[in-house]
Amino acid sequence: MNSPTTPSRPPLRSVLLRSRKRTILGVDPQKLIKYFFGSNASVAIIVLVLIMVFLLREGIDFLPTYQRELQTYRRAGLEFCDIIDQPLQRNQALSSSLRQAVSASLETLSKTARDWRDAAFLLKRQVEDKTARPRESLTQALEKTPPAPEQIEVFRRELGEASAAAAKALDYPAVFGTAEREQLQREFAALTPEVTDLPPLLQTLAAEFSAKDREARTKFASLVQAQEEFEEATEPLQEVVDELKAKALETKEKAVEFDVLETNRLRLLEAAATETDAKEKASLTKEAAESVSEAVNLEKSIQEITGRTAELREQVEKYAVVIEKAAAVLPQDAGTGAARALVNEVREGIPAHAREMRAAAATLEGWRWDKPVSIFSVIGAFFFGTQWITNSSWQDFFGFVPLLSGSLVIAAIAILIATPVSVVAAIYTNQFASEREKEMIKPVIEFIQAIPSVVLGFIGISLVGNLIKDVSEWSWLQWVPGFPIQERLNMFNAGCLLAFMAVPTMFSLSEDALNNVPRAYIDASDALGATKLQTVFRVIVPAGISGILSAILLGLGRVVGETMVVLLVAGNRIAIPDFSAGPGVIFHPAHTLTGIIAQELGEVSRGSSHWQALFMVGIVLFAISLLVNWCARAVARRFEPHKA
Amino acid sequence: MAAETPASTAAEPLIQVEKFNYAYGDNQVLFDVDLNMSSEDVTALIGPSGCGKSTLLRSINRINDLVDSARVVSGKIKIDGIDLYAPDVDVISLRRNVGMVFQKYNPFPRSIFENAVYGLRVAGVKDRHDLEEAAERSLRSAALWDEVKDRLHEVATGLSGGQQQRLCIARAIALQPRILLMDEPCAALDPIATARIEELIHQLRGQYTFVIVTHNMEQAKRIADRTAFFYKGRLIEEDDTMNIFNHPRDPQTESYITGRLT
Ligand SMILES: Nc1ncnc2c1ncn2[C@@H]1O[C@H](COP(=O)(O)OP(=O)(O)OP(=O)(O)O)[C@@H](O)[C@H]1O
Ligand SMILES: [Mg+2]
Repeated sequence: MNSPTTPSRPPLRSVLLRSRKRTILGVDPQKLIKYFFGSNASVAIIVLVLIMVFLLREGIDFLPTYQRELQTYRRAGLEFCDIIDQPLQRNQALSSSLRQAVSASLETLSKTARDWRDAAFLLKRQVEDKTARPRESLTQALEKTPPAPEQIEVFRRELGEASAAAAKALDYPAVFGTAEREQLQREFAALTPEVTDLPPLLQTLAAEFSAKDREARTKFASLVQAQEEFEEATEPLQEVVDELKAKALETKEKAVEFDVLETNRLRLLEAAATETDAKEKASLTKEAAESVSEAVNLEKSIQEITGRTAELREQVEKYAVVIEKAAAVLPQDAGTGAARALVNEVREGIPAHAREMRAAAATLEGWRWDKPVSIFSVIGAFFFGTQWITNSSWQDFFGFVPLLSGSLVIAAIAILIATPVSVVAAIYTNQFASEREKEMIKPVIEFIQAIPSVVLGFIGISLVGNLIKDVSEWSWLQWVPGFPIQERLNMFNAGCLLAFMAVPTMFSLSEDALNNVPRAYIDASDALGATKLQTVFRVIVPAGISGILSAILLGLGRVVGETMVVLLVAGNRIAIPDFSAGPGVIFHPAHTLTGIIAQELGEVSRGSSHWQALFMVGIVLFAISLLVNWCARAVARRFEPHKA
Repeated sequence: MAAETPASTAAEPLIQVEKFNYAYGDNQVLFDVDLNMSSEDVTALIGPSGCGKSTLLRSINRINDLVDSARVVSGKIKIDGIDLYAPDVDVISLRRNVGMVFQKYNPFPRSIFENAVYGLRVAGVKDRHDLEEAAERSLRSAALWDEVKDRLHEVATGLSGGQQQRLCIARAIALQPRILLMDEPCAALDPIATARIEELIHQLRGQYTFVIVTHNMEQAKRIADRTAFFYKGRLIEEDDTMNIFNHPRDPQTESYITGRLT
């Protein structure tokens, strides 16, 4: 073997032990390559961890901060005032229902007259707008001293001609007969700046309306009066509450100022303690000494508030009695069915409101200004709080529920729309479409993903909003709950657009899932005499169901996290959607977890409680996304029958 | 066993393949195939890989219709005198009457019971009692009843391979078809499971007309009355199994059965 004729070949042992010389900075290049790839993978993980750490660090301080704020809210007596003030807000809602009932009732008599008057006045305005220039010239000429009669005459003629032309060109509504139309035209043509009185026909129309209105007000006098009385009933109580509120607010402001200065002082002292330079140290100490304010005597100020509990209770009782009486005398004879319904609603709402007020008054006694705010109640106030109020001159509340409910309702709408669309499209494409159709459908649907979401936002504002509003006004669709809608920008609109955005993800993943159904199942089903549809619904869809479900969940993740569209289209009203409106609630505006962060984070000062609250929202959002993704994976694994 | 197989019956052929030419796109894979298969016979189709056995089999229940490029170039397949590719043929009904068992057992990922009655369900049978009866009958015919009767509602993919294949046979015969097409039904099974399937075919012969593709010469000898040898898309020779294996007329047949031709 080791033939002497090939001396050039080195002995085997030397080859086996030869050390590799080729290294980069002393490291084996093979290893370098391995580290390079490995490090790229770990970068993703590290960044994810960093994001979590960062979010937590910024957000977690929120709880103690909010705890301090709520503590101040209690100690300064704001909470005490809110006990009465919050339920008292209900009066406004009831009043506004009554006001609506009143105006609907009055309209039964005065609407025609008012419409005529308004139409005529609108026409007059249009003429005046069109003849603004000659009118201005004439006015100036008239004011000039000494007057120039011939110039005035020229301008007057010009104005006359312009007015006549404008009056002729007007689009007269059909409510005016030919005679009226001609008279209006004549009156408009004769309008001059000197005559401030209304032309005769307009005067007549205005007078007619006033007469009708007066007549209506006498006819519904009891209703009008009840409404006024009810609205005024709050006044004495509100006066006391406002007084207390002012006092509480003053205390709170002092306490906050004291807090700020005190924190500052402590920080300066700390800096001074570690400062080595003597001069610097002296100046820091001096500054600290200046940073004092008079500590607020909370106990004393709170007594000025709680001292008036008895008076407050008395006022509440009086108020309750007055409104109950008002409820008892509310007339039955409102003008229209809708108005009667509103009045009935108020009639039933008042006793409940009175009860609520009395109950609130009863709790005043048990209220303690020095009861500490526990961290659990702070957590509760965040996660179950129903108010998100910021930049308030009274008190900021960071309650999460309005945002969460908005996000969830929108996501639910989007998923309910997107699921059937994308799954059906996937089934069609996968099972029924010809090769050419597939080549059409897939890229088109996938292209939707490339549309920037801000562009979709435009479409939502300009197109979808108007479309929904117009459709909601069709008379034969009035059975749909919530129709006709009030707001163009609402949760349904946002849901539609998000559905559109989620479709590509859900479509592609569902299609993949169907594609992965083994060919053998399809053959077996066909060979047993199943029709195409039977095969699809009895074999292919059940076998692909895990993939489809996880596609839906991933779509949900996308929808919950989407920001731009909801910010632009959802209407951004920070309130819990009014679920008492039934399914029609989807046409109400709302705000969302993502939208609130995008909207407010840029405007708040770094490190403030508001800033921290937004980070908390971010953390929760992050957690929701993780959860949804995890579920998607779990589902994909759970229902994998052919991998069993 | 082969000794017992009767010489081919003189009965009217149930399946008649006449000058059948078949192609996938431009690639013709069957050329002028002429073959008659008699009712109640077991016919084995043999031949090297790619010679078109499966294609012929899959043309008999028209399951190849689902392959986009597949088409009949010319010729006919008739069952009971009816041209299968005539426009007024009800393909669904054809498939209900011509069952098929595949090489790789493919029960649905559902319960054993649901597998057994799938064909009936898609045929519109709803009555629970009828379904249960049919399930029992077909599982008994497939010699599977005793093994699964206590676990009818467990998922079918938990059975052994041989059991799964017998379930597929049960599933096919639940519809009481006249013809059973089997494409290498034992190729994925071990010898014992194979023996059980062969035994089953023996028991069922006479009730159904079997057409079986196999690569196993011994198997063909054991179970088939008639054997047809295909090569490169052409039918080379078709005769009583005994004759094919003992006195092949064509030299290609001889090379194939003696293992010299692949
Ligand atoms: N779906 C298809 N599309 C295109 N060509 C196909 C298709 N199925 C089979 N063929 C071709 O048709 C020819 C015959 O195939 P077929 O499956 O009928 O052979 P076979 O005799 O069953 O082979 P095997 O013993 O390996 O199963 C082969 O050349 C194959 O490539
Ligand atoms: Mg084959």
